[in-house]
Amino acid sequence: MLAFTWSELAQQVVDGIRDGGIYALLALALVIIYRSTRVINFAQGEMATFTTFVAWSLMNQWAHLSFWEAFPLVLVIAFAGGVGIERLLVRWVEDAPLLTVVILTLGLALLLNGLTSVIWGGAEKQFQGPFSTQTVDIAGAQISEQDIGIVAVAVGLVVVLALFFRFTKLGLAMRAAAVNRQSSRLVGVRVGWMLALGWGFAAVLGAVAGMLIAPIVFLDPNMMQTVLLYAFAAAVLGGLDSPVGAVVGGIILGLTITLVGRYVPYVDSTLKLPVALLLIIVVLLFRPAGLFGRVSVRRV
Amino acid sequence: MKAKLLLEALSFALLVVAVVFLPHHVSDFHSRELATVGMYFIALVGLGILTGYSGQISLGHGAFMAIGGYTTAILEVNHGVRDIWTIPIAGLVAGAAGLLVGIPALRLSGPYLALVTLGIAIAFPQLPKKYGHFTGGTTGEILNLPKAPFGLHTTPNHWLYYLTWAIALMLLVCAWVLLRTKPGRTWQAVRDSETAAAASGIGVPAYKTLAFGISAFYAGIAGSLFAIATSFVNPDTYPIVLSIFLVVGLAVGGASSLAGLLAGAAFVYYLDNHADAVARWADHLPFVSVNPQQSGIPSVAFGAVLILVVLLLPTGVGGLLHRLLRPLTSRLYSRS
Amino acid sequence: MRRRVVLACLVIAAVCAAAAAARPLANPGVSSTEIDLGSSVPLSGEAAAAGSVARGADAYFKYVNAHGGVFGRKISFTYLDDGYDPGRAVTNTIRLVQQNQVFAMFAPLGTDNNLAIRKFLNQQGVPQLFVNSGATTFGRDYKQYPWTIGYIPPYSEEGKIYAKYILQQFKRPKIAVLYQNDDYGQDLLNGLRKGLGKKASAIVAKVGYDPTTTDVQPLITQLKASKANILCIFAFGKFSLQAFFGVSSAGWHPQIFVNDVSAASSLMVIPPKSATKGAISIVFGKDPAAPIWANDKGIKLFQSILAKYGSGLTPGASKDGYYTAGMAEAFTMVDTLRKAGKSLTRAGVMRAATHLNEKNNPFVLPGIVVHTTPTFRYPITQVKLQRWTNGAWHPFGKLVSQPPG
Repeated sequence: MLAFTWSELAQQVVDGIRDGGIYALLALALVIIYRSTRVINFAQGEMATFTTFVAWSLMNQWAHLSFWEAFPLVLVIAFAGGVGIERLLVRWVEDAPLLTVVILTLGLALLLNGLTSVIWGGAEKQFQGPFSTQTVDIAGAQISEQDIGIVAVAVGLVVVLALFFRFTKLGLAMRAAAVNRQSSRLVGVRVGWMLALGWGFAAVLGAVAGMLIAPIVFLDPNMMQTVLLYAFAAAVLGGLDSPVGAVVGGIILGLTITLVGRYVPYVDSTLKLPVALLLIIVVLLFRPAGLFGRVSVRRV
Repeated sequence: MKAKLLLEALSFALLVVAVVFLPHHVSDFHSRELATVGMYFIALVGLGILTGYSGQISLGHGAFMAIGGYTTAILEVNHGVRDIWTIPIAGLVAGAAGLLVGIPALRLSGPYLALVTLGIAIAFPQLPKKYGHFTGGTTGEILNLPKAPFGLHTTPNHWLYYLTWAIALMLLVCAWVLLRTKPGRTWQAVRDSETAAAASGIGVPAYKTLAFGISAFYAGIAGSLFAIATSFVNPDTYPIVLSIFLVVGLAVGGASSLAGLLAGAAFVYYLDNHADAVARWADHLPFVSVNPQQSGIPSVAFGAVLILVVLLLPTGVGGLLHRLLRPLTSRLYSRS
Repeated sequence: MRRRVVLACLVIAAVCAAAAAARPLANPGVSSTEIDLGSSVPLSGEAAAAGSVARGADAYFKYVNAHGGVFGRKISFTYLDDGYDPGRAVTNTIRLVQQNQVFAMFAPLGTDNNLAIRKFLNQQGVPQLFVNSGATTFGRDYKQYPWTIGYIPPYSEEGKIYAKYILQQFKRPKIAVLYQNDDYGQDLLNGLRKGLGKKASAIVAKVGYDPTTTDVQPLITQLKASKANILCIFAFGKFSLQAFFGVSSAGWHPQIFVNDVSAASSLMVIPPKSATKGAISIVFGKDPAAPIWANDKGIKLFQSILAKYGSGLTPGASKDGYYTAGMAEAFTMVDTLRKAGKSLTRAGVMRAATHLNEKNNPFVLPGIVVHTTPTFRYPITQVKLQRWTNGAWHPFGKLVSQPPG
């Protein structure tokens, strides 16, 4: 164990919050899908990876756009993809038991993961992010624009989403469709399209997450596999239907894992994933709604 | 009823005969391939009991296979135990782990159980790395090569084949017995209506946990055989996708028929290991140009198949056959 | 139930009929017209860049085939993807040996991969030639594994070379080490320690990482806190990249030593210059991206072979050192096949492989002799140190070597 210094602690805190921001971004996508459709989407990570590869191609292969030029295009493509998946695949099992839909998302995850390998090859690629990695020294810790950017985007998205769901008619309709489909149909809500919108939004959030994460973890087809588990842990911790919870949960998770991994002698980097899993289990068993959620996850 | 029993016994005998004589008609290497199919079959029978009968999903059975495989590796490498004797121990250790998982599983419904078991599949490979001093860590353990005991003159591949299928047939009979006695009936009652089952006084939690334990036992044995066949274990031998491929195999074959489980096992093995043949076939499709060396093809195929099965064939190939053949079978015996 | 079981039997029968039997050959992998070689390399996953060694070798074999082959036999080279996973390397190897009936395994890649397949190959008496791993065991443990031989400079030697250079150049060295937590990384670390000898306490900090880590940058932060003036990056692929990025964002400027296998030019250009400038590594082959070889005959041959016979090439192949390494190995392989004589047997090829004295390999540094004896199975032990400046590698000094192990 290396000696303790305050400046290293500061750096570990910064790194922990930044990692937490990464988990939060993907967790937001998970939460949005859950909130709008009650589906636990195992394909979220792969959808994000796929759209990030599309971004990469727009920036390096099919054209040479800059990040900010490619960004809106990718969001549109992601949105269309999400809506398409819901309307073309998920809608057929809309009224089936939840488990069936979940298995479908599993198949989707496999399919997308394989397609990504087949189309872009298995080798890693470097992804040029929007933020610079130059650092400034604050209290002994090196903080980069990227670190701040990730957390800022996560927080910003939460604010936007919270406002949307609470104050717009569309947001209300989506929430209604998620909670009670029968009744919503009765009052004229086009439930099918609300679900599709949920998928579309989640795909967009996933794309944003992917594009911000890829510069750090390097772009390859399996980029999101471990991040997905951390994202689920963050979402469960914060409450599966709470966007605020996703971000708070993410940051808590990031800090906990980084600091425990560094300062608790028994736990090192190999045990980070099991710790995240343990957190999921404990939360689901003892406080299923998480910190901010309102739903019960137990079967009657 | 008696006629049905006689038919089932007869069909089982047919299977035994097929298993015994097949290796003489295929190459040595193909015996090894069929042995691996047998290992997947064992795992699927277990998973079928869990998901098809007691109605609980598991996306993490690869982890139980890993427990079985590592038990075999540790016993063989660190304690010099002969490979065959490690198999039942591996099954028991994995089964115990399954019981442990079965307890919190009681409080989690479908999608959440799926999430937790997937989490197990993702997080479990870290454990052998952490406890590297007796699991070999990332490097893994190298086992002895499989060899027939008592100086029998069979090739290692034939030995593996007979070992695997003998165990598979035995475990199949055990499953058959289990399903036709109290546990099986209880599971079916639970699956059909958990509230009704609980109301009629059945100890629902105990049986559900038992199902987890038994299915993990089967997976552990399959994992142990894997380890013996490859003579190597490391965390990557039982990756995340293994757990998912098992679920795909179950979905494709259907959980409740022998033919379905065999089909599922064969499907998983051949698609994963002959991806280049699949790629070459896909290359013939219009607009598609696929390099046979390209990785990712099994995942595409498995993913597409899983989606199709969910959308079109919820009861799998076995269920489809059952439906197709229903006009015929209903004449053969009355449904009781 | 009966119909389902009958169906099951039919399924099995159909499956077997479709997978029609292949009868084993008397002298596997060699016919009057062909020699079958097999390999297992990463073509996907985090080590996919290194898989190009197989592509480079493949191009060279095709070139040799076009010029008469070896005693009229054409080399047929089949390489399978294992994603850097030893379990898949084992299944690939079993398949290549038992189904494809290859004559020998040529240059499989990866320390753990080769460890996993070694027992099987030796038990079956199949040569495991010119292993793409510097783990010392492949050259050292020949008594137990007589069918195995390495190729690239052993990692223990590499660590020692860095140690000796550090002792020469630094009065008060304080070394931090980031290493991959497996045989590969540990072999390098042990070499470094042994090379430092009594001054091993110069290693003030070391951190091992597991290949499933998402990001090693926080570990660099830890190492910086040790106030070391030297950093050894004994990592692989993307982890080396992350380490450099970590050094840059930590605002740290140690003298960096990065191990050969991760030091391909194509990787070194990615991190910020402030981090990679002045990094030191070793090299045994001619790096096609290094300006010093721009007009070299060997490199020109390399590029023309790739252009004419390369297939499945990745972008930037003609400047990718992994391709040259593969060609160097293939050159030695062909050399060995020729020495083994017209009546080619597995025992004969092992004898040839352990009596090498190759001086004319156009793809390795001038002056390197690819040399083996039955008791010294490290074909290449001579290297040069090289420094990364102005976006390229520049070898300096004379050929050096240290005893492996």
